[in-house]
Amino acid sequence: MAAEMTDGIEKFADNTDAQVPSNPSFPSGDQTVWADVSPLLQLASQDLHDGELIHGENFNLFAAMSALEIMDPKMDSGIVSTYCSVDEAIEKGAAPVPLSFNSTIDIQCTIDIMDHLLACEATWHKGHSLAQTVFSCIYLLRPDRISSHALLHSYCMVVRVTCNAVVSAVSDARTNEEEDLFTMTYGLPLKGEGDEKCLSILHAVDETISRQLRASKAPSTKRRVLEDIEPLQTNADLEGGLCKAVLCRLRFRKHFYHVLTCMRRPQGKGLELARKHITSCLSELDSMLKLEEFLKCKSICRTVKDATDDETTASGCQPIGFDFSLNSRLSAPTPPRAIKLLSWRKAVDYFKKLLHDLEVICSYTLDPVLEVVLRFVVAFQKLHPDLVARAYLQLLLVQEGKLYGRDPVFAMICKASLLPDTVKNHDLQKNETIIQLGQLLTNLLRILCTNSAWQRRKLGKILQEWRIVHAQLELAFRKEYGDISNTSNEDVGMNICSYILIWVEEQTYWIATRFLTLGFELELYSPCDYCMVYWYIYVILIKLAERTHIKMMRSNENSRRKGKKKRDSVKDGAKDHQIPPAVSLLQCQICLAEGLVMMLAALRNEYNAFQSVGPFNSEHERFLQHFELLQKACIPDGVSYVSFKETINHARLSTSSTYNCFKDAQRTAKELRTSYSNDPEKLNELRMIEQVAEHNVVALNLVRHLGTLDPSLKVYFEFSHHPHFASAVVKRS
Amino acid sequence: MESNKKNTNQEDKKEEAEGLQEGSEIEYVSYGGEHHLPLIMNLVDQELSEPYSIFTYRYFVYLWPQLSFLAFHDGKCVGTVVCKMGEHRNTLRGYIAMLVVLKPYRGRGIATELVTRSIRVMMDSGCEEVTLEAEVTNKGALALYGRLGFIRAKRLFRYYLNGVDAFRLKLLFPRPEAHQHQSIMKLGFGTYELGSDQQNEETSAE
Ligand SMILES: CC(C)(COP(=O)(O)OP(=O)(O)OC[C@H]1O[C@@H](n2cnc3c(N)ncnc32)[C@H](O)[C@@H]1OP(=O)(O)O)[C@@H](O)C(=O)NCCC(=O)NCCS
Repeated sequence: MAAEMTDGIEKFADNTDAQVPSNPSFPSGDQTVWADVSPLLQLASQDLHDGELIHGENFNLFAAMSALEIMDPKMDSGIVSTYCSVDEAIEKGAAPVPLSFNSTIDIQCTIDIMDHLLACEATWHKGHSLAQTVFSCIYLLRPDRISSHALLHSYCMVVRVTCNAVVSAVSDARTNEEEDLFTMTYGLPLKGEGDEKCLSILHAVDETISRQLRASKAPSTKRRVLEDIEPLQTNADLEGGLCKAVLCRLRFRKHFYHVLTCMRRPQGKGLELARKHITSCLSELDSMLKLEEFLKCKSICRTVKDATDDETTASGCQPIGFDFSLNSRLSAPTPPRAIKLLSWRKAVDYFKKLLHDLEVICSYTLDPVLEVVLRFVVAFQKLHPDLVARAYLQLLLVQEGKLYGRDPVFAMICKASLLPDTVKNHDLQKNETIIQLGQLLTNLLRILCTNSAWQRRKLGKILQEWRIVHAQLELAFRKEYGDISNTSNEDVGMNICSYILIWVEEQTYWIATRFLTLGFELELYSPCDYCMVYWYIYVILIKLAERTHIKMMRSNENSRRKGKKKRDSVKDGAKDHQIPPAVSLLQCQICLAEGLVMMLAALRNEYNAFQSVGPFNSEHERFLQHFELLQKACIPDGVSYVSFKETINHARLSTSSTYNCFKDAQRTAKELRTSYSNDPEKLNELRMIEQVAEHNVVALNLVRHLGTLDPSLKVYFEFSHHPHFASAVVKRS
Repeated sequence: MESNKKNTNQEDKKEEAEGLQEGSEIEYVSYGGEHHLPLIMNLVDQELSEPYSIFTYRYFVYLWPQLSFLAFHDGKCVGTVVCKMGEHRNTLRGYIAMLVVLKPYRGRGIATELVTRSIRVMMDSGCEEVTLEAEVTNKGALALYGRLGFIRAKRLFRYYLNGVDAFRLKLLFPRPEAHQHQSIMKLGFGTYELGSDQQNEETSAE
């Protein structure tokens, strides 16, 4: 079909070539002339039937998918829209000002709008476009219309200002690679006149309503004295409750805006204050929830539908003044679809969660030690924070290329390499490769703040960069200081270099470990891949432990050498040979990983379990795919599918080594408890390791003793005790 | 057309399914032209949530008719697969765009047979790998592709408009040279030898 059509066009074009009228405003180029295509199209249109197309070379999948079938309600959102434009909607009374001439209804409707906006805002944070959520509010689209309605005006203003603050935080953080929709604000009135006065306006409204609330509480005898205060609305029975409902909503907005601005003060200087505002926000949200019943039953109801769980207002009434289809043309690259808003309750829950996440950030100590920073970010990510919270964390961590906008990156690198404080002003910091390393490090911090799916992909990619910077550092150092492996040399510069190199290696293995373990959280591995994944983790962890150990030993050595005279040398020596707790903890994990590799391998070898046999490829291809990025970057050097196969080929359930791996992990974890007695996070990790080891020992024994007798026994792996070390469960199938 | 579809009630479906059990064969055919297009569109429209325009279907079936297959039972189209292939970062890569089997006909290996046929053609055409996306909640599809050897290469955050994450699934075909994986760097931590000649030696040795 497509070919036929093109032929037709070519033929036709030949005939008409002669009578081309020229277009004066756009001159013809060397290769092009202007031609009137209308006769051509007319002719062609008789040939082309409904649903047919002419296939041009640049017609790609995206173009095909972006095509709309007009009047198909599944695709053409235009046919479901009620109005053609905002003006038409207003003309037809979709967003009246005031909302009602009955002042009670007017206030109730205003509260509904506030609630619905909150639902919209949460839905936006959760990944829908601003245009289809918050800016489906006609009042927000035409702010001047409501300047006479002080309450609605101030509320809309603070919502707009807040959205603007959030958009700029997220775009500044640039963590939102996959979440572009979030910062798409094209064509929306996100900035309004007088926005800077937002807080004072809000304050004034707050003051008035507070007075109205006080007046409503006063006994009727005293009311006369307060006569000059006009009530919020005319129904005296509802006055107190409505004042309260409005006040907690306004105050929530005020404090929330404060939280956002405080958190953006440089060097984390506003965190303390932000925490106070977070506390206030949470208590206002609670007040909102407490007044839900009041609003539900006291609504002189306009359009209460049957109560369901997905109402977007506390009262359960439909808000007026919203039309999601108005903006749909601005909202998305693909044909716009109807979206489902979060309910008001869910929106409140969302904001609670957001505020708790922000509170965690605000309570952070701004520790200058990289290891502490990394631990904090990783722990924070376990809370599954949404985009906004992650963006604020990232903005706190990296400001103007410095940690917290305060500590230079080179100082951070020196600390991480366990170099003495004195070197942090060394000339080396001006070295180009060191500067590059600094950028890699700040980039790493940024990446760790992104959603885990995106994060894992980015981590995989930067492994290569870390590997290359390591090679470049080596070259650069050698050029400057000669052979760096000669540690006896006392040259300060050289000493620094070898320390930094060890740390770069350690950090690279840390990234690789995070890359691999995130795969479990993202459910990327199937059980038949566990064996090779644990094997790779095992190999990487050994390297990581080695580097950490070397780094710590050297630093000990150094400080001892520099320390005054020799003290009790025997005691000193003993201390030296002790394995640092950080390394022992890694050893626990190494044992677990090794145990799992051997257990899985034995099950494969003896029971034919956990094997993957597809018709098109083999396990080798799975290995290449899972570890492609690590292999490309030679992390670690010299491991391959062949080495994996060699390790597992002879694994048998009867050998005691598997059993011993788990036993060792368990024992070491127990011993380590005292070293980490005041570190709850590490204690928790130790406890989880013990549990995994214990369960696997039990399972192993069961299979060993019953396996051959009872063929119906099956082994499953679950992550019930640790997020990435599996526990075996034996069940009858 | 519309009303016919809606009138297919439970009983009809039962009959169809029973007919299948009695041994009437499923016939698999490669996309054969314009008359197949409405069959494909109907199936996909019924079973997948994403609406596709006719242009999307045409895009696939006109450019890669050899990669699309239909399954017929007693003259009725009960399943289809639609695919494409093309250059991706200097490799030829196949892509499975749509796969659907009518509900009463599921669980009988029809989908497996359909994709298997497409994948074979891709392999024979020189593709190095095959990819697709599936919702993380689509247990059936994930199990099916898992058994064919696909791995979950990536998780795509909120990939679909409904806010659900997707997995990018990949199937790598064996390559003769793949068994000596080539690295861009032949340098390990701790070996302090970095020389371009070393690198050249290694690559030319293969
Ligand atoms: C996915 C789909 C095409 C499968 O069709 P099918 O013909 O039933 O698939 P098969 O019979 O070839 O199934 C092969 C294997 O897949 C797995 N599988 C298929 N459906 C499954 C389900 N609902 N739950 C668990 N596993 C399932 C099984 O392992 C099955 O093998 P088994 O029956 O021997 O256990 C069909 O369910 C469908 O049309 N779904 C809606 C559209 C869709 O989701 N398409 C995929 C988009 S990526």
